[in-house]
Amino acid sequence: MLTATFRSVVAHKLRFLLTAASIALGVALLAGTLILTNTMGLAFEQLFGKIGSGTDAVVRTEAPYSATEGVGTTRGPIKASVLDRVSQVDGVRAAEGSVSGYALLTDNDGHAITTNGGAPTNGYSMPADEDLRGDVELLSGSAPTNAHEVAIDATSAEKNDIALGSTIDVLLQESTRPFTVVGTVGYGDGVKDLGGTTSAYFDTATAQKVLGNPGTFDSIDVSAEPGVSQTELASRLSAVLPQGTEAVTGATVAQENADATKANFSIVGIVFGAFAGIALFVGSFIIWNTFTMTVSQRSREIALLRAIGARRRQVMTSLLVEALVLGVAASAIGLGLGLAVAKGLKALMDAVGLALPFTALQVPASAIWLSFLVGTVVTVVASLVPARRATKVLPVEALRESTPGAEKPSRRRALLGVAVLGAGAGGMLANLYGGASFKVFGLGLLATMVGVMLALPSVVRPLASVVAAPLRMRGMAGELARQNATRNPRRTSATAAALMIGLTLVVSMGVFASSLKASFSDVISDDVNADLFVVTSSAQAPGFSPAVLGAVDGVAGVDKVSPSGWGEARFDGHGSSFSSVDPATASQIMGIDVSRGSAADLGKDGIVVAESAAKKHGWQVGDTITADFAASGEHNLHVVGLYDGKGWIGDDYVLSIAEQNAFAGPQLVSAAFLTLEPGADQAQVQDAVTAALGDHPDAKVVDQAGFEKEASGFIDQLLTFVTVMLLLAVVIALLGIVNTLALSVFERTRELGLLRAVGMTRGQVRAMVRWESAVIALIGAVSGAALGIGIGLALSQALKDEGIKAISIPVLQVTMYVVLAAAAGVVAAIGPARSAAKVDVLQAVTTE
Amino acid sequence: MSVITSTPRISSATAARVEGVTKLYGSGDAAVVALDDVSVGLGQGHFTAIMGPSGSGKSTLLHVLAGLDRPSSGEVFLGDTEITGLGDKRLTMLRRDRIGFIFQSFNLLPTMTAAENIVLPLRIAGRKPDPDWVDSIVATVGLSGRLSHRPAELSGGQQQRVAAARALASRPDIVFADEPTGALDSTSGAELLGFLRTAVTDLGQTVVMVTHDPTAASYADRVIFLADGRVVDEMHAATADEVLDHMKHLGA
Repeated sequence: MLTATFRSVVAHKLRFLLTAASIALGVALLAGTLILTNTMGLAFEQLFGKIGSGTDAVVRTEAPYSATEGVGTTRGPIKASVLDRVSQVDGVRAAEGSVSGYALLTDNDGHAITTNGGAPTNGYSMPADEDLRGDVELLSGSAPTNAHEVAIDATSAEKNDIALGSTIDVLLQESTRPFTVVGTVGYGDGVKDLGGTTSAYFDTATAQKVLGNPGTFDSIDVSAEPGVSQTELASRLSAVLPQGTEAVTGATVAQENADATKANFSIVGIVFGAFAGIALFVGSFIIWNTFTMTVSQRSREIALLRAIGARRRQVMTSLLVEALVLGVAASAIGLGLGLAVAKGLKALMDAVGLALPFTALQVPASAIWLSFLVGTVVTVVASLVPARRATKVLPVEALRESTPGAEKPSRRRALLGVAVLGAGAGGMLANLYGGASFKVFGLGLLATMVGVMLALPSVVRPLASVVAAPLRMRGMAGELARQNATRNPRRTSATAAALMIGLTLVVSMGVFASSLKASFSDVISDDVNADLFVVTSSAQAPGFSPAVLGAVDGVAGVDKVSPSGWGEARFDGHGSSFSSVDPATASQIMGIDVSRGSAADLGKDGIVVAESAAKKHGWQVGDTITADFAASGEHNLHVVGLYDGKGWIGDDYVLSIAEQNAFAGPQLVSAAFLTLEPGADQAQVQDAVTAALGDHPDAKVVDQAGFEKEASGFIDQLLTFVTVMLLLAVVIALLGIVNTLALSVFERTRELGLLRAVGMTRGQVRAMVRWESAVIALIGAVSGAALGIGIGLALSQALKDEGIKAISIPVLQVTMYVVLAAAAGVVAAIGPARSAAKVDVLQAVTTE
Repeated sequence: MSVITSTPRISSATAARVEGVTKLYGSGDAAVVALDDVSVGLGQGHFTAIMGPSGSGKSTLLHVLAGLDRPSSGEVFLGDTEITGLGDKRLTMLRRDRIGFIFQSFNLLPTMTAAENIVLPLRIAGRKPDPDWVDSIVATVGLSGRLSHRPAELSGGQQQRVAAARALASRPDIVFADEPTGALDSTSGAELLGFLRTAVTDLGQTVVMVTHDPTAASYADRVIFLADGRVVDEMHAATADEVLDHMKHLGA
C-alpha cells in the first residue's frame, strides 16, 4: 500500500507542489513569527540586560507596584544622600547614582534625530567606574566629565556624521542645551545602539540636572569587592537603608527586566500568531479540497485496490500517509521560507512605523519543532474527512464507466449553516443591544463565519448567476465558465471560502478603520474648539518637551494654549490610563462635556471621572478615591466632576498636568491645542508658531486638517500592516484556486477534447478556464466583502463606548478589493488555462 | 479536374479526399505504419462506411480526413480546401463550421441539456441556429420530448442521437462518425443508423462512418475496406451478409 502512496505522490507532482505550497506559506508565517519574536526578545534583553552586567546590587525605592509609565521613572527617586551611606558599607567597591530620562539628539543642522517607530530617545548618567558601566563602552573619544559634554551612541553619530568635538543641541525635558560630543558609545559585540533607540550620556551631576532629577537618583548601582557575593552585598546594604528603600541583587534586576520585556512583548507574538493561524486555517481548506477532489478522481483506482483485496483501513492509511508526507515536506519548505518571512515582517513593521529593536536572526528550537508539528497536524487533520470518504468507495465502482459526479449541496448542511449563522448574528446583536459580554460578540462573530461557510455551497449557483452576469457578453466560453463554476458547488464553495475568509478580514478591518477615522474627524470638527494643534514632529514619538509650550504661548495672535498628556495609574485598585489637562482651558477647548462639577476645580487633589466609570464604581461628585502611582504611591483624590465621555478625552479619568507632575514626575506633552485671538489670521499665526518652534525640532504645528491627517495616518499605517498580513491568506487562497482549476481541467480532459473537436479554439478554451476562475474568485470576494462589511459595522458598533461614534464604509476600497480578487483569479487561471488549451483532442475523444 | 480514387464509380463531386497519405506512429525501427500511401475520395451526398480489422488504419484515416490528426505525408482536402498545412486555429474553425462529429462515446457535455448540446458548435461560433432546420433534425431523430434533459438522464442510444443531431445542426459539408454504434445495443444502433441514412437520403447530407460491424456498414452506399493501412477493396449498396462474406474473404 505504501508503494501505491508514493507512486501517487510522484505521479501528481504539480498537485503535490501546489498543495504543499498552500500549507508551506502558513507554516512560513508561523516560523517567521517565532523567529521574529525570538530575535526581538533578544534585542530587548540587550536593551535592558546588557547595561547592568557589571552591577552586583541595586539600591532603589520600593515600588507600590511595578508598571512602566511613559518615559518617566516607574519608581520614586532616591535621595542623593543615600549614596554616602551605601558607599561606606563594608564590601562595596564602588557605588554611583544612576539617572535616566528624556533626551532627544539633534544632528549638525539642528534637526531632531528621530527613531523608527516608538523607540525611545533616552539620556543616561555615565558611571565613572568602568565596571558599573557594564557593557556600555566608549568606542571613541572619552567619557563626559562636565556640564557641556555628552557621549552619544555610535549609530546616531555615524548615521548623522556627527564628529567628535562638534557641538549639537540636545532636547531635554525642560529645555534645549548645546553639548560638545566627546565620545561615541557601543554595547559590546559590535552593537552600536540599544535596539534602535538613541542614547545620550552625561556625567552624573549633569544628568541629574538635565534629566529632571536634581538632588536625587533613579537608583544607586553598586559593585562588590572581590569575594563578596551579590546576595551578601544586598543583605549588608539592606541593613543600613532608610525606610522605603530596598537593595536587590543585580541578577534580580536583570530577571525583572527580562520578565517585563516578555510581558510587553508577548502581544507582538500573539498578533503575528493570529495571522499565522488564519493563514494555516485557509491552507487547511485547500488541503481538504484537494484531497476531496483527489479521492473522487481516484475512486476507480481506489475501487480497484479494494477489489483486489485492500481493506478500508489500508485505503485510509494510504491517504493519510500521503497527507503526512505532504505535511512534513511542506513544513520543511515553510520553515526555510520562515527566515525570509521574519525579515519581511521586520521590514513591514519598519515601513509602517512600528519599529522594534532587532538583532541578527535567531532561530529558536521551538520554531523548528512547532513548524513541523503544526504544519503536519493541520495537513493530516484536513485530510481526515476526505480519507474517510475514500473508504466508502465500493469495489464495484472499479467496473463502472463514470466521470466523477458532482455532489449536490446538502440540504441538511445548508439548514445547519443558516441556523449557525442565525445564532451567530443573534449573539452579536445580544452584545450590541442586549448587554451581553464582548465574549458573546466574539463567539457570535465566529459562528457567523462558520455559518456562512456551511451555507455557501447552496448559494453558489445563485451567486454565480449574479457575478457571472457580465459573462453573457462573452458568448459560449462565458456560459460554459459559469456552468463549470457551479457544476460542483461544494468544490467551488470550498475554494471560494478560502478567499472569502481573507477578504472578510481585510474588509472588516477596512470598515473598522474607516469608522475609526470618521469618528476621529467628527470629534475634532464637532467637539474640539481649537484652531491650531502642536504635535510631535514624528508621529510615534511619545511627546514633546513642556518647554515647547512656553515658546508657543508668547507668539502674537495665540490666545490660549491647552496642553494634554497621558499616563497610567491605579484608581481604587483598578489599573487604567488617564489624561492630564490644563484645568483652566480644557473644558472649553477640548470639548470635555462635564455634566456635574467642573474640570476647573481639579486643583492639587481633584479628579474628573467619566460617567460610565463613576456609575460602575458608584462614585459621585465629592467622593474620595485612591489613586496609586508607581512613582509616588497612594494619593487621595476628590471627584470634582463627571463627564459623559464624549469629546477629545477617551480615558475614564482626567487629572491636571500639575497633579501628574507631582504624582508621576515630570512628563512630556502629547499634544497642545491652540486658540487664536479674535481677528488673528490663522495662516499668519501658524507661520509665526512654526518660526517659534525653530529651536524645538521635537514639535510642529498643524491646522485641523493636518491634525486629522496625523492621527488617521497612524490608523492607515496599522491598516496597511494588517492588510499586508492578511494578504498572505489571500495569496494562499489563490493557490487554492490554481489547485482546484488544475484538478478540474485534468478531470475534464475528455470534455475539453470534445469541445476542441467540435470547434472551440484554444483561445476560447483558455478564456473559458479564465472566466471560471474569475467567477470562483468573485464568489469568494463578494461573499467575503459582504460578510466583512457586516462584521466591520458590528465591530464598530460594539466598540461604541471606546470612542467609535461614526460609521463609515470605504466603498471605493472594498470595490477595489473585489475587482482585484477577480483579476487575481484570472491570473491564477493562467497555468490551468494553458494546460486546458493543450489537451490532445484526438486522445481525448478516442480514449475508450 | 481529375480525381484520383481507387474506384471508377464515383460522383464527380467529392466532399473530402486524401492523396497519397501516409501516417507513421513512432520513429526509426519502432515506427508503425498506420496509413500506407492511401488515396481515396468520398462522394458528396453519400453515406460511406470505412471497414477493416483492428489496426487496419480505418480510424486513423477518419481522423486525418477530419483534421483531428495530421498525416506524415500526402495531402488532405475538405471539398476544395487543402487542410494539410492549416494551423490549429484554421483547422478548429474548419471543424466548427464545416464538419460534424459523432464519436463512439462521450459525445456530450454533461452540464448542458440535449438542446444546448445540439446547438453547441453554432454557439461556439457565435452563430444563430436555424430553428426550422434544427426542429426538423430533432423531429427526425425523435428527441422532441427529451430536449431539456441532461446527458446523464438519457439512455446511450438517445445520447448518440443527440450527438447525431448536433453533428448535423450546423449543416456541415460532411459528418464523420467514429464507431457511432460501438457502445449501443442493436435496437438503438439500428435507430441511429436509420437516422444517418435518412439524413443522407432525405436531407442530402454527407456521412462518413468508421465501423467494424457489417450490419452498420450495410446502411452505407459504399463500403471501403482497409487492411494494413491500405485500401484493399470496396463494395456498393451491399447487404450485411455480403459485407460479412467479403470480410471473411479478405481475412482469409
